Amino acid sequence: MNKQTQQSEIKVQYFDVNNIGKVPPLPAAGKKNPAKPAIEIGTREDNMTSTQKVMRRYNPWFMMRNYLDTLGSNAPALDDTPRPIFDERSGERDYAKLNDPVVNDENRYGTKIDLLDLADVEVPEERSMFINGNPEVGTNPNRYKQHGFHFTADNCIGCHACEAACSEKNDNPAHLAFRSVGYVEGGSYPDYKRMNISMACNHCDNPVCMKGCPTKAYTKHAEYGAVLQDPETCFGCGYCTWVCPYNAPQLDPVEGQVSKCNMCVDRLEVGLKPACVSACLGNALNFGVVENMPDNREQIKTSIPGFPDPSITNPNIRFQQTKSMPNEMGRTDDMPIKYHKEEDGTFRSVVDEKQGKESFWNLSRLSSRENPLVIFTLFTQASMGAFMVLFLGALMGIESLVAIKNSIAYIPLLMVMAAAQAIGLLLSTMHLGKPMRFYRGFNNLRYSPLSREALGVAMFFTGLAGLTALEIVSIWLPLEIIETLKPIAAWFAVISGLLGLYYMCRSYLIPARPFWNHWQVFTSFFGTPLSLGSLLLAVMAVPVFAYNGQDYTALLQVTSGLAMLGLLAEGLGLMAHAKYLNTESGEGAAAHYVQQTTFGKSYVARNVLIAVGVLVTAAITFALAETTIGLVLAALVAPTIFITLLAGRALFYVLVIPTTMPGAFFWKNKGFEQHARDIGLANMPQVGVVPDLH
Amino acid sequence: MFFKRKEKNPIRIVDKKVHEWKYTTCGYCSTGCSIEVGLNEEGNAVATRGNANADVNRGKLCIKGIFEHELFDAAGRGDKPLMRDKPYEPWKKTDWDSALDHMGGEIQRIQETYGRDSFAIVSTGQILTEEFYSLGKLARGCIGTNNYDGNTTLCMASAVSGYKRSFGSDGPPGCYEDFEHTECLIAWGSNLPEQHPIIYWRLKEALEKRKFPVIVIDPRVTMFAQFADMHLAITPGTDVALMNSLMYVILDEGLEDRDYIDKHTKGIEEVEACVKDYDPVTASKICGIDEDTIRNVARLYAKAGAAMGIWTMGINQSTHGSDGVVGINSLALITGNIGKPGGTSLSITGQCNAMGTREWSSCSGLPGYRYLEKAEDRKEIAEFWGIDEEFFPKKRGMAQTDIFPAIETGQIKGLWLVATNPMTSMPNTARIRKTLEKLDFLVIQDAYADVETTHYAHMYLPAAVWAEKEGCFTNTERRVNIVRQVVEPKGDSKSDFWIFKELAKRFPNGKKIHFPETPEGAFNEMKQLSKGGDRTLDISGMTHDKIEEACGIQWPYREEDDDEGVAGGDVKGSSRLYTDGKFQTPDGKANLIPLPFIDNNEVPDDDYPFWMNSGRVVEHFHTRTRTGKIGNMNKYSPTPYMEMNPDAAADLGIKHQSYVRIASRRGDAVVMVQLTQRVSRNMVFIPFHFHDCVNRVSLGLLDPHSRQPAFKQCAIRIEPVDQQWAGELNVERRTY
Repeated sequence: MNKQTQQSEIKVQYFDVNNIGKVPPLPAAGKKNPAKPAIEIGTREDNMTSTQKVMRRYNPWFMMRNYLDTLGSNAPALDDTPRPIFDERSGERDYAKLNDPVVNDENRYGTKIDLLDLADVEVPEERSMFINGNPEVGTNPNRYKQHGFHFTADNCIGCHACEAACSEKNDNPAHLAFRSVGYVEGGSYPDYKRMNISMACNHCDNPVCMKGCPTKAYTKHAEYGAVLQDPETCFGCGYCTWVCPYNAPQLDPVEGQVSKCNMCVDRLEVGLKPACVSACLGNALNFGVVENMPDNREQIKTSIPGFPDPSITNPNIRFQQTKSMPNEMGRTDDMPIKYHKEEDGTFRSVVDEKQGKESFWNLSRLSSRENPLVIFTLFTQASMGAFMVLFLGALMGIESLVAIKNSIAYIPLLMVMAAAQAIGLLLSTMHLGKPMRFYRGFNNLRYSPLSREALGVAMFFTGLAGLTALEIVSIWLPLEIIETLKPIAAWFAVISGLLGLYYMCRSYLIPARPFWNHWQVFTSFFGTPLSLGSLLLAVMAVPVFAYNGQDYTALLQVTSGLAMLGLLAEGLGLMAHAKYLNTESGEGAAAHYVQQTTFGKSYVARNVLIAVGVLVTAAITFALAETTIGLVLAALVAPTIFITLLAGRALFYVLVIPTTMPGAFFWKNKGFEQHARDIGLANMPQVGVVPDLH
Repeated sequence: MFFKRKEKNPIRIVDKKVHEWKYTTCGYCSTGCSIEVGLNEEGNAVATRGNANADVNRGKLCIKGIFEHELFDAAGRGDKPLMRDKPYEPWKKTDWDSALDHMGGEIQRIQETYGRDSFAIVSTGQILTEEFYSLGKLARGCIGTNNYDGNTTLCMASAVSGYKRSFGSDGPPGCYEDFEHTECLIAWGSNLPEQHPIIYWRLKEALEKRKFPVIVIDPRVTMFAQFADMHLAITPGTDVALMNSLMYVILDEGLEDRDYIDKHTKGIEEVEACVKDYDPVTASKICGIDEDTIRNVARLYAKAGAAMGIWTMGINQSTHGSDGVVGINSLALITGNIGKPGGTSLSITGQCNAMGTREWSSCSGLPGYRYLEKAEDRKEIAEFWGIDEEFFPKKRGMAQTDIFPAIETGQIKGLWLVATNPMTSMPNTARIRKTLEKLDFLVIQDAYADVETTHYAHMYLPAAVWAEKEGCFTNTERRVNIVRQVVEPKGDSKSDFWIFKELAKRFPNGKKIHFPETPEGAFNEMKQLSKGGDRTLDISGMTHDKIEEACGIQWPYREEDDDEGVAGGDVKGSSRLYTDGKFQTPDGKANLIPLPFIDNNEVPDDDYPFWMNSGRVVEHFHTRTRTGKIGNMNKYSPTPYMEMNPDAAADLGIKHQSYVRIASRRGDAVVMVQLTQRVSRNMVFIPFHFHDCVNRVSLGLLDPHSRQPAFKQCAIRIEPVDQQWAGELNVERRTY
């Protein structure tokens, strides 16, 4: 037998044994939507020239930032002693060993599975991952292939072994879990079906967490396509927990940082499946190169009932679910969501009216842990609105606004705006898990709208505060240079303010949070500056004008006119929003259901007050500005508008329902968590609910 | 140096810095998984992993095993002996010598005043086999009370009784490997995925290799019921009627193994006569399973080349527990499904060492399945221990469930509880509280000082827990596995072995009987007592080291078997009993026993319209003394809850995740409602683990043969309750 035939025989044999049934034609995704090449696959430095590396490392900003990071850090020192990457046990069984003899070129979305191809840059094959600083290089032959979980929903018994193995390995406290099991159920006794769902991070092709994170705590590694997050880089803003549709990143309110599934890359490096998979007792959870069919399985679907729309992130998880389910599958947790079977057999989320139709005020529940953001956005928008109206209005020659600039109220007004903005910034910073790390917020200007928002607002504040300082200084020091600097500072504030405002809106356009994901955010976030900003101007300037005997009528007309426009925008936006929520199914509609029931009376009151605000401000603008009635109405409508907008903004944060996975009866059930906090069960750490920290 | 930091984020993964992995055996259920506990350089237990070489679990662990290392440092442990004259006085710390002197004195005072049997001992299925053996020696040989039993009366007594009635001796005849050979499995009242997840995984592995029919009999749609090929949603407490009907069909249609019946059993005529009354039509009216299904199951089971029945508390904890076991055994016997691969009648036991107490604790007789009723057994043990054989009573005394009523009515004045928590675990809490208050002297020996029972105690002895000590467990497939000591006992707590040995010195016979200093010494005595004759319980070929090397050995493993596979480390012991069709009865034939069914359950009526069913959840073990303190398990069910049918709830205006009051003829309890179609419209299910919950209402009628209470069947009603008050009550009752 000559060498050539030998080779071809081997090839055929290889194909026969391993290929049949291994690489079936991939069912096409609903729409081919190849994720943009994963953006940071951790190869940045590897492809730099040494000069670039030096330039980067000795960049003063990085040096300062990195130095600051070392302060107060409790991260364990990384240890570069050569040692095994993972301590393997003797007699390890096949179920724990990775087994991917054949892999596809592309996943069903058309993205390359070989991440070196995807990276489009050279990565040294023998590159160490430096897990905990360990220079050892993994032996896994598929280490540069995108890996993912495979979950056979038919088999999961809900025994918690996967969650336990994960928490044991990662030493997570009871209130945190990288993997959680929830369930959906349906049918009626005894034809009852419960389907458990075990879910962790899906190490997506399009990791929205990584794009959203302002601190660049996330990296999508060329090794395994693992999306890893560094809690030490994170400053605990929780934005990744907003954008992730699967509730994978876990915000720990105790530590003030996020952490998440690390794909057990240490186990992968030595050829072992992740701890959760190896622990599975129902033979439900599996792991390997994505799109590969595990042994004894017949499906690699992208969805099961309860799983969010995969087109948001192109997640690297596949499913088998062959057993038929009842037409309607409910959740045991308190989310007003259930899943309805469509004609094509897939399930979509629809509203489950768990709390009936009765409508309540629930004013006290408007207060939430997002209160600082309510204040931050309102104060920022008021400050920006007041400043822009004043500056641009005066520029356009609107006399009443020019009059403010020339009045004694001008500098105090600037000071109030700056103070409002400062309070807003302070609150948003204190809202971080690690406020002292605020400077990390600008790290991801390239992708994160939150980074850009933060920079815009910070620059606006700088311009505003600078202008205020210049105005104060110029009282005593009438220097030419100061007069030149003033418009520069003002324009700087205007432009950065507009950018900040724009990205503030963009930060809330999140597919995983359908309630926010609507242009109403723009009408609200641009309407509020007009209404609240004008309100601020009027409240500060009208009394001064009146006291000085100046005519305030024009000012009242201008400010109430602008407030009317702002409220009108807000109102029209809300109408369109309600319409969108009514036609939308699932989480958005569920939020709307909560809005109409739990907060029903508050919601209606807010809407009525906006309409009243529009009418009253219109009346003042067009008819009553010169009358006493107009002044009285203005005095009444001003606090009303503020309260209306405050309540509206609180609703905005309280109502959002993310596209999370179904929870269980106690674990991952917001309703039980709230009860445990209310009643005091949360004070026992073994209950696994963190008590209110404020 | 900060400027050397790489721009790519460093990867940090928790490294527990395990310095050494120590072999041991899981101390929760009776599956018998081999575990390795990781110790760091300071010797603290920081990690757990399954042992991949062990045949039982093959590297897997369930949630409880995965966090088992955390229990060493969990809250609530006792670390000093405590004493007081009256239960209403505060505890006083004391030293071991004074405590044991006082205890010895009190026991003797009570026995002298009220008679030898007026002091009772109730032990457990939790401690090590060598400890059971020593306790038996102490109880039977030194203290000499005949009122000595284990809490296994609450879980396994019916299995023991049923095995003894059918086969002449205790001991599950099959093993997990039978899943790989069977062609039909019937699971009676057993929810493997929740109660024995590792055994479920073994079954799942077998099913993935080779599909065979699985039939689950359970009133509730458990995950197991859902995954089964057939789910028989039976009316609670009527299993025996179904068994009789299955036998009716098998005998009526000539599907039985007549050859096996003739050669290896006796009593078929009586059984045939009895099952005549249970044709499928009649039986369907009793058990709620339609006649076609009964016939179908009977044919499937009888025609399978090898068929097995497994069961757990659904059978044991009923008024027909022992009969139910006999019925499962008889089904196996008449179809020739005993002692062959895939053909067995396998009890899936509860506690880690329920088997150990059955084998060696002497609580139902004398060590090694010997009987007090047999003169030669009394003589043999008395000689072996070096005491007068007349010291032994000639008949077994009371079972646990008879000891408590005897306290209630004053025949028993003193009680020693070893690693058991009757205030949570026994039916009718109010009655148990009243009973405990009547004792002159109550000693609690437990790892946990915060068990509810200590409120009524005069003395508390802090015991070491699980792998703080060394010795063996026997699992549900007769596999003896070893718990190696992993860490030192907490504080001043001592191993139960040490406590028994030291207490013995306070009794006259204790000076005659030798108590070995080490568990291995006790094991050697057990080995000697296990030798000889046709004894199935023969461990004479085993040693502690050999057990560890093999990750457990199944008895019988005789001295002569020992020469076989030792070199390769491939010691297996015996997978099955009765492979030759010879049973431990005088004539070697198994007994077929007629089982007339009498419905004595407290069935729902107008006043109490719901069946109350209870059971286990995977994240908790027994009375939560251990699992309730480990957050990563407890969080999955931190408070008691009740599965209730949404349609029934709608009738009563009860909402999901609200509290209700449940009331029975015994008492009431407050519990949170989980609405689910998993239970029928007239049944609720409540996990039994929680203090002040399910057993405040349970009835616990006793099985006439095994004296095991019927925890799972009683009638309750459901009432609304003030939500704020109920929530506050829930917090108060969940101190752990």
